[in-house]
Amino acid sequence: MSEEVYVVDRVITKPGCAKRFVDAYLAEYAPGARQRGMTLRDVLVSPPIWFDDQVNTITVTWSLPSPQAWWEMTWQGRPDPTVAQWWADVGPWIHDRSRGVAAAAEDVDGLCDV
Amino acid sequence: MFNVTTLVHTEARDAVVAALRSAVHGVPDALIAPTLPGVRNGGDVLMHLGFHDDRDWPRVRARIDEALSTPAVTRVDSVTYRGTLVGPENPDGSVYRALFLRVAPDTPDDVVERFEADLAALPRYVSTITAWQLSRVEEATGVSDWTHVFSQRFTDLAGLTGPYLMHPIHWAYVDRWFDPECPEYIVRDRVCHSFCALPH
Repeated sequence: MSEEVYVVDRVITKPGCAKRFVDAYLAEYAPGARQRGMTLRDVLVSPPIWFDDQVNTITVTWSLPSPQAWWEMTWQGRPDPTVAQWWADVGPWIHDRSRGVAAAAEDVDGLCDV
Repeated sequence: MFNVTTLVHTEARDAVVAALRSAVHGVPDALIAPTLPGVRNGGDVLMHLGFHDDRDWPRVRARIDEALSTPAVTRVDSVTYRGTLVGPENPDGSVYRALFLRVAPDTPDDVVERFEADLAALPRYVSTITAWQLSRVEEATGVSDWTHVFSQRFTDLAGLTGPYLMHPIHWAYVDRWFDPECPEYIVRDRVCHSFCALPH
């Protein structure tokens, strides 16, 4: 069984904002996230067109080796005001967003057996 | 039940424990103990008092205030609230834990209710919680204007530091309310996470 967990950012960008959001995410947010122990799995854009008159949905998936690593990641990020500030700064480009934490289906029973 | 939970920051924990125990003499449901290693912002002494109602509280409070009126006490966080433990009549457990938190004041009522429902769901998934209580605070003192207190009895210390933290219900579901990276973030002040041993 793997203990790997995934952090999934799902961001619906305002029309015309998808490209600049992805660029900022990769240039400004991702380096700190890596330092906190996250590994970037993929950045998906739906539909794969940089719309200027429609919303796009950006789905970014990170992985961490275990729930313990997730806690260590978030314990590093929370006291750092620049992390929350980054999300506040890109707020004007975002129509809606969510952050979820997930695991592979075959790992669910093991992760719940603590 | 009318409840009082107090977290005392002090370097003179033995003296403070003794003074508080003397001050609450006659209160049938009184837990006063040094906190255990691992608390965060949780103080050095934890006190929990349970009363049938709030009639006796002013008299007891005056004695407690006097006991804590010493330079050895550097900070006190305290909450009063109502409600009873959810669980068996005589729950097992060797560790009592209290979480003080403040929901941001601009949070809509329906969001607060969803948050409370999520917290209340947590004990269903963490088998090491033997009893619990989630209450809105009536009166708060300390570094924040605390709005909620979430208390639990745990089977043992390992049950708090292991399954409680490591179950996905915590890190993949409930914690989003406390996480500045999540849009649901409403608990913005630093929480008090405190725990102590229960008497045998």
